[in-house]
Amino acid sequence: MSAFAGLAAGDAVFTASFPVARADLAAYAEASGDRNPIHLDEAAAEAAGLPDVIAHGMYTMGLVSRAVLEWAAEAGLDASLSEFSSRFAKPVVVPAAGGAVVDIEAKVRKVDADALELAITVVSGGEKVLAPARATLTAN
Amino acid sequence: MLDTSYVGRSLPTTEPVTITTESVSRFAQALGLRDDAALPPTYLISLTLPAADPLIEDPGFGLDFTKVLHRDQRFAYHRELRAGDRVSCTVTVESIKTVAGNDLLALRTDVTDEQGLAAEVWTTLFVAGGEA
Repeated sequence: MSAFAGLAAGDAVFTASFPVARADLAAYAEASGDRNPIHLDEAAAEAAGLPDVIAHGMYTMGLVSRAVLEWAAEAGLDASLSEFSSRFAKPVVVPAAGGAVVDIEAKVRKVDADALELAITVVSGGEKVLAPARATLTAN
Repeated sequence: MLDTSYVGRSLPTTEPVTITTESVSRFAQALGLRDDAALPPTYLISLTLPAADPLIEDPGFGLDFTKVLHRDQRFAYHRELRAGDRVSCTVTVESIKTVAGNDLLALRTDVTDEQGLAAEVWTTLFVAGGEA
């Protein structure tokens, strides 16, 4: 039986929501080696024409990967991520007080016996920040 | 403006490096991912962006990194990589497009291990033009 039995194009498969705080960006900067100060320092962000500190696009994309992997594990899919992409349409603005929230929603874009492609929208502060992300899981 | 004569050029392949358990663990923890030695899906960016440093720092290429925003990112994984694997990166300038005075720089990095191509990583950078 296909790993993706029961899934059809257009199905909404999961939603996930993650808080993002400045400390998360600092930890990600250390882990990834991307220490661009626009992700850490208000003055640097403003000098670059941004309203405030913004999350690394790759941090947001990393949260999306987490949501996909957690869903795949919970759904018991015997599959591996084979393709993963996104366009960084708008920044995720992360104020010092309160931080930000990233809301993720995934739908099936295409599915056959061997592969499942998800289209994933990501919203923060009322803006679509990834437009959209795509993830393809291939049956093991 | 970027020097478009670099399109099609590849940087020398980086020396093989061993992906350490510590670096994978730190990356997984920073994203709240399960920390089990499997490479987080976006981990390779921590190898591919530094692999592009010789291009970013090449004065002849003309890239001002303070004017750069990350525009697109894509990964294709050909097999599972784990902590302990040894990989090399080869960065190629795939294209440079100029739109309204801004450049879109598309890079592809081939990540190879002992068995050959393990993953491909595409990064498109938006480089703001003008003197602003």
